[in-house]
Formats: sequence, structure tokens, C-alpha cells
Amino acid sequence: MALDNLRDLYQQVILERYKKPRHRGKTNPVHRYQRGHNPSCGDTIELTVKLNETGDRIEDVKFEGEGCAIAMASADLMSEALQGKSLEEALDMVQRFQNMMQGKGEFPFEQRKLNVMQGVSQFPVRIKCATLTWHTLKAAIEASNPQPAGFVSNE
Amino acid sequence: MTLIQEKTIAAKVRSDFPILNEQIHGKPLVYLDNAATSQKPIAVLNALQHYYKHDNANVHRGVHTLSSRATDAYEGARDKIAAFVNAAFRQEIVYTRNASEAINLVAYSWGLANLQPGDEIILTVMEHHSNLIPWQLIAQRTGAVLKFVELTETEEFDFDHFKSLLSNKTKLVAVVHISNTLGCINPVKEICAEAHRYGVRVLIDASQSVPHLPIDVQDIDCDWLVATGHKMCGPTGIGFLYGKLDLLRSMPPFLGGGEMIADVFLDHSTYADLPHKFEAGTPAIAEAIALGAAVDYLTNIGMDKIHAYEEELTAYLFQQLEQIPEVRTYGPKPKADGSGRAALAAFTAGGTHPHDLSTILDQAGVAIRAGHHCTQPLHRYLGAQSTARASLYFYNTREEIDVFIAALKEAIEFFGSLFG
Repeated sequence: MALDNLRDLYQQVILERYKKPRHRGKTNPVHRYQRGHNPSCGDTIELTVKLNETGDRIEDVKFEGEGCAIAMASADLMSEALQGKSLEEALDMVQRFQNMMQGKGEFPFEQRKLNVMQGVSQFPVRIKCATLTWHTLKAAIEASNPQPAGFVSNE
Repeated sequence: MTLIQEKTIAAKVRSDFPILNEQIHGKPLVYLDNAATSQKPIAVLNALQHYYKHDNANVHRGVHTLSSRATDAYEGARDKIAAFVNAAFRQEIVYTRNASEAINLVAYSWGLANLQPGDEIILTVMEHHSNLIPWQLIAQRTGAVLKFVELTETEEFDFDHFKSLLSNKTKLVAVVHISNTLGCINPVKEICAEAHRYGVRVLIDASQSVPHLPIDVQDIDCDWLVATGHKMCGPTGIGFLYGKLDLLRSMPPFLGGGEMIADVFLDHSTYADLPHKFEAGTPAIAEAIALGAAVDYLTNIGMDKIHAYEEELTAYLFQQLEQIPEVRTYGPKPKADGSGRAALAAFTAGGTHPHDLSTILDQAGVAIRAGHHCTQPLHRYLGAQSTARASLYFYNTREEIDVFIAALKEAIEFFGSLFG
């Protein structure tokens, strides 16, 4: 079997993050909490967000959940990329990630780690796996209080 | 193993399925997602085309020739389906869009009219969402209570638990014949006999059994049985409900509209006789006729032969899977001759997520399902977030199983090295 085709999808960074995620867990304290799931496959994710004192900038993001290599690596890379970002910047990144999944554009140099997910755009059925964490983030940011707001669905 | 069935069936029928010649990523398609939907033989494709080219007209309406041809073909397909499941009367077969709609028909027609607060409906933890959600909705409307038969240690229907749930409060048992995830073949005849001792109605979801086994509704003695056309070589958009004649007669209409009426006044109507009482609006005429062609096709091969060959495939599939230490299959193991379960295997493979497995197998041309297969509660019960599933049909071969197993091993190795 030509696994070569799969190297674009399963880049080493993705496999490493799947095996050894760096941002699993819960933030302390929890200022935003959101669960997301992918109803077609059962993948789940729980994001917690710690904000700064003025509540407009992300200090920390952590995730819990179960899913495939793409979903979990995407959540880990996203959590890392969001450290220190304003909520507005984070929402821009959600849009940029969605565009990248459509094959349109990529992240700038300082966020280039996220570009390892670009290969997913060649596997349309797997885009949902990669975007689950970003959909969940968007819902977390847009929620006005830290209470769990039910599941956000990725469909 | 004899190979006898394989020589007489798979080799013969493969050329009937044009899609099996497809190349996927430069590899021959190995289609192992038959529990989701089957492929269609040329006879079925021709039936669709023939109808639209030569007979297309609305049914039960006009007196012109085409309308008469369309009606004859549409009703003729009903006769074929009735014979296929050995219904006593042709009026016992009601066309629906699919099995889900057939279950909803029973739920909203019979369920709303007959269920009272506190009445109990017995389901199982292995039900497909299509035989769960309608009853949840009806339970919310009527105050009926859902009870669930659990699994034995071998992950099969727990008959003792079932018996312990039956009581004078029970009004309905709705149970899947063959689980699309566990592959277990539930003892539906015994379930019906036990339930009928309490005067309880039984609905069988036969979506995964009608395509693979000879089915005799009179022998099973079920009150209703539902199936869908697209899993049995037919097109999508057509399925059927079987119901005992007197029971169907006693049930109020489900959907209202054209076709299902006798006399219509502005403030009330009387309804057509069975089965048209339950077939509102212009039906899926071409699809019904093509399902009839699928029934002819399966009948010509012989359901007993299909079942026997699938048992051979089952034996081989499980022999091969059992040699991969990372693989954990769900549901009962087959006997040495492959009997005792359906020709499908839901499994997990160590730390490799089913989605990742499916993507890698797809690169080898192998189509399997990954996810919860519309049995989320069962997956929760089994403690599996999701599973991969290979499901076979009579056109699959041992060579295809070999391709699948080789690709599976490679996929496990690809991810396994990470976790080593």
C-alpha cells in the first residue's frame, strides 16, 4: 500500500501530538467551558479557557476528549497557538483555519505550526475531524458565561 | 473450507455489479460497507431505466395504458416482496421510504392510539437509532416507559433478562433481528412466542437480516417487520412494512394525502383499503419496481445459498481477524463453520482510531465504516467511543478479505510504531 499519500495527512508533528499531547487537561481557573462533538463519528472534545483579568485575552486553553489522530492533534496545536491571543484574534484564527481547510491560504510565519494541518484539506471527509476543536473554540468564545452550554455540533 | 459456495456464487455474480470494477486510489475497490448500503446489480439499474423509458406514469390514477403498466409493475413488485418474506396476504406489505419510516408509521399510528401512561415498551441496548428515537418520541407523547434488554457476556441478546422485563405492563417489544454492530442474530421467533404469551405486540427491525437470510414472517409470527430496499440490492428511497392483516386494518392512517383515501369531503374522509391506506401521495414508483427486480435477483440466486456462502466468508473473516493481536471484535464469535452470527465485524485495533484506520484502508481501495454506526447507546454500553466495521455481502470474496486484512495490518503497524 502506498502510505506515501498519507504522509501529507499524517505528518510527523500530527502523530507526535496525537501520541503526546502537550495541552490536555483543564485550565485553572475555568473562564470558558465548551463541549463539542462530531455526531457522525462520536468524537468529543471539551475545551476550557482561562482569560486575563479584563476578560478579553486568552491566557491558557486546554482540551479533553476522545477522537482520531487528526482531531486530537488539531486540538493540541490549536491550544498552543491560542496562548496570549485576544478573543478577536482567536476568532480570526478560527476563520483562517476554516479557509485553510478549503485550500484557501495558510497561517502566517509566527503561527506556522498550524500549517501542518493543511494536508487535511486533501481529505474532504476528514476536515470535520480537524475543525471540531475550532468550532468548539468559537462557541466557547461567543458564550457569555463560563457555564457549560450543551454540546456544539460540528455538522 | 470447501470453496464450493464461493465458486458457485461470488464468481458468478460479480460481473452483475458494474461498480465492483471501480478503482479507488488506483486500487481495485474492495467494498466492505454492505451493512450501510449494498451495491446494485445491473438488473436493478435496468429496471429503473426501463420504467422511466417505457412505463412512466402515475399509479392508481389514469385509465391510459402507461398508467396501467406502471400500476401493474408497482403492484407486481409488492407481490414479489410479499412472497419473499412469505406474507400471507399481499395487502400486508406497505411501501415506505425506508425502515425508519416503517417504524415511525407503527409508532405514530399504532403507538399513539394504543399506548397509555405507564405502559412499557421493551427495546434492546443494541437498537439502531431508527428503532430507538421513534419510541423515545412516542414515549414522551404518551407517557409510556422504555425498557432495555441488555447483553450476555458473549455480547448477544440476553433472553433471561428479556423474560424478566416482560410483564402485564408491557405493550410492545421492538427488537432488531441482526445487530448492525454486534452481528448477533437475535432469536426473534422465540421472542415473539414469549411476548405473545403476554398478549404483547412485536416489531422486528429486519434491515440487516432480510438481505442475508431467508425470512418467513409467518414462521417468526411477528406482528410487524420492517426492512429497507437499499441494503438488499435495491435503490434508496424504498423500504417496506409487513404487518399482520387484522392489525394493519385496526391501525389509523399515518400520513394523509392523495392515494390513501376512499371518499373525501371537506370536513372528513374515508380511507382506502390496505395497503394504500398507509401510502399517502405519489409513491416511489420506479424504486418500488426496482426493489421488485432486486427481490427477483436475490431469489434467483437463492437466499439459502447466499446465507450459506456468507457463513463461509464469516468464518474466514474471523479467522483472519483473530490473528491480529491488536484487534478486538464485538458481538459473538462465529462457530467454526461460520454460522451463529452475521457476515460483519465491528472492531477496534489497539490505539488506532477507527477514523484513521478507515482513511488508511481507503488508500488501499478498501471501503469500511468507521464511527458509531447509528448505535451510540450500544457503543456507550460496550465502552467503545467508536468502532471500525467491515460488512460483507455475497459478492465479496476471500481474496478481498485478504486485501482488507493486509491493509489493516499495515495501518496498525503505521500507528502501532507510535505507541510501541
